[in-house]
Amino acid sequence: MDFTLSEEQEMLKKMARDFLESNCPESFVREMERDEKGYSPDLWHKIAELGWQGLIFPEKYGGAEGSFMDLAVLYEEMGRAMFPSPHLSTVVLGGLTILAAGNEEQKAELLPKITNGDVKLSLALTEPSASWDADGVAVRATADGDDYIIDGTKLFVHDAHIADYLLCVTRTKNGTVPEDGITLFLVDAKSPGISYTMLKTIDGSNKQSEVVFNKVRVPKKNMVGNLNGGWAPLARVLQQGAVMQCAEMVGAGQKVLEITVDYAKTRVQFGNPIGIYQWIQDHCIYLLNYVDGSRWVTYQAAWKLSENLPYDLEVAIAKAWTSDAYEKACWRAHQVLAGVGFTIERGLLPLFTTRAKVQQLYLGDSAYHRKKIAKLIENWSPEISKGKPRGLWEKGEPWGEKDLKIWPWVQDRKFRPKV
Amino acid sequence: MDFGFTEEQEKLRKEVKDYFINELPSDYKTGVFPCSEELVAFLREVESKLGKKGWIAPGWPKEYGGLNLGEIERDIIREESGYWDIFWPDVIGIMMAGPALYLFGTEEQKKRFLPAIAKGEAIWLECFTEPNAGTDEGSMELRAVADGDDYVFNGQKCFITTQPIKPDYLYTEARTLDIEPKHRGLTLFLIPADTPGITYNPLPAMDNRLTSEIFFEDARVPKEYMIGELNRGFYHAMTTLEFERANTGVPARLKHELHEFIQFCRETKRNGKPLIDDPYVRDTLADIAVRIEVLRLALWRTSWRFSERERLGPLDYDLGGLNGKEIVAPMYEAMMNILGLYGQLKTGSKWAQLAGSIERKWEVSRSTHPEGTIEALKIVLAGRGLGLPRRR
Repeated sequence: MDFTLSEEQEMLKKMARDFLESNCPESFVREMERDEKGYSPDLWHKIAELGWQGLIFPEKYGGAEGSFMDLAVLYEEMGRAMFPSPHLSTVVLGGLTILAAGNEEQKAELLPKITNGDVKLSLALTEPSASWDADGVAVRATADGDDYIIDGTKLFVHDAHIADYLLCVTRTKNGTVPEDGITLFLVDAKSPGISYTMLKTIDGSNKQSEVVFNKVRVPKKNMVGNLNGGWAPLARVLQQGAVMQCAEMVGAGQKVLEITVDYAKTRVQFGNPIGIYQWIQDHCIYLLNYVDGSRWVTYQAAWKLSENLPYDLEVAIAKAWTSDAYEKACWRAHQVLAGVGFTIERGLLPLFTTRAKVQQLYLGDSAYHRKKIAKLIENWSPEISKGKPRGLWEKGEPWGEKDLKIWPWVQDRKFRPKV
Repeated sequence: MDFGFTEEQEKLRKEVKDYFINELPSDYKTGVFPCSEELVAFLREVESKLGKKGWIAPGWPKEYGGLNLGEIERDIIREESGYWDIFWPDVIGIMMAGPALYLFGTEEQKKRFLPAIAKGEAIWLECFTEPNAGTDEGSMELRAVADGDDYVFNGQKCFITTQPIKPDYLYTEARTLDIEPKHRGLTLFLIPADTPGITYNPLPAMDNRLTSEIFFEDARVPKEYMIGELNRGFYHAMTTLEFERANTGVPARLKHELHEFIQFCRETKRNGKPLIDDPYVRDTLADIAVRIEVLRLALWRTSWRFSERERLGPLDYDLGGLNGKEIVAPMYEAMMNILGLYGQLKTGSKWAQLAGSIERKWEVSRSTHPEGTIEALKIVLAGRGLGLPRRR
């Protein structure tokens, strides 16, 4: 057991925090909310120079061969700073899918470009069905000569508006189970027939689009992974993405905690700093507890990914707990910060709160992950002891209030108290 | 980061796990307060067998009956015995009096009292709470006055968790000095339970658990039974309490109960369908599993911090404490809700489900106050943990 970050991870954390503190101040976060692109290409290249896009990829594609735990450390800092960037879309959801399912040619072509910041990806998975499961995928891809023709609508697609390629999840067959018949395609974002409409959402930083594929032609060689076999690798990447989303929430939650406790110590009402009042303390303690719990379930899931141990249950637990915990943490913060927490230009909390809702829903909300957990634990049974039966648990009435036989040793005493 | 255990530790875990599986009777039930003399005798027998293996106080040196193991190993044993909800008749000796003696006792006291605790041969009661001193421990009024070679005790304790077995020693805190702030005038003592002048009055509690009032009338105790320094009892007790903060047995016990309940939900039909197919039931079971995991990690983090010999603060152990206190009652509440009307039935009713065990544990789960109420924990977390200002 070891609940600390390694020396290298501490260095990465410090480096990321320092960089983001000077390059991603509050004003920048606010500016990006209003910005059409929603990120800074300049900063995107700067973090590529720092190795952030390549952190998780193998060396032969220009990466640093870091672990998921390393990546989680980075995500925690990006969450803390509310850093607006297409990192999750490009590196995790797009890049790791290509790494897992793509052929050598695709990997050699794309991964180095992701690593050096020249290519951005976007995962086009969800549809008007708003489902994270394979049965929600209805957009069709139909073979036609050397091409496939993709037709249908993708919805809630993060970072589609700035992506160079869309990683489009399509249905190529109606199999006996929904997971069978899913195929992934790398689609040039500028292909004829694709149209984008930016969605008006509660959070200006995670820009999402409706993406309509109107008979979009994609060459067969752009298929990522096997025909009809795209779901299995994608499902693993969705889990990896969920853990990174958790890490982002942990970092953000920590910042919300710091803002809130700091305010409770300095804001004076009725002649006292409000942190002296126990109701305010109560909010702060639960906020702390939500963040702390989230940190360890998230780290555990990231560690399992890093060590390549079975991780289905731990990932689902991490996202199920962290999604709700972070939302509740923000709610507690609102109770303490009151007017200041509600006023957009006066503090950071409104920014955190709206992001919290988006992050809570993204890659599966708590109820979705609890469904997965239920599936994983429904066959649990207790261990059975095998010793000789003693018949002690069925025998006799429980000792009760009715007499003091329950106190044989008290009965022995001669002296009774004078009460 | 490493959430795993070493090969050695896994070996120890398997040894303990196998021991319980092979040793405990096949009709063994968890969560049963001993309700017959035979059952008490059986639990004593288990305790003494575990004592012989050194698993009651594995962290203590061998000369005191331990195995000289580290905190992680200790808590692996706790976790595995927690899974079986081993009812320790001498829980106070193991968790409180023993650690207090180990930390603050004289060499002579340690040699005399620790081995009996480690072997499961003694029964201790924790005598702290008084009618006017619950959470406000500093207000204790039980008075210990020095007289020659003795201290003379007068006063009363109450709500003292008691076992159906005659106790050997009372782990007691008493007032030895009138001073402000009041907690600076308290001292720890161990008092032989059969000291003349001490009487016991039972106060039955929920689910047939036992507590008692204990009265002291000119009870004389030799001075060498004082534990630690005079008037430092409050501080000694607080330090000792930390030993209970990494009780990895709690989430393990909850997991056992979840295992049993999931099995029950698979095997029980409601409206023609197994309970486990009900989306509400599934969501509830998953939610319980999540909370148990959050608690498990919080406690293992505390255990690990102990093992690193770091100086601990409330943020290191009280979150585990808070989670532990807050998860248990809602868990049984949720299980009771799934049982519906059947939830009201007590053990012994022919209609009782799971032999009434959920109801029993639900009753016991109302007890969140031992080692301090949830509110007391919050005061510590807010002040010493988060550095929020305190009322004067």
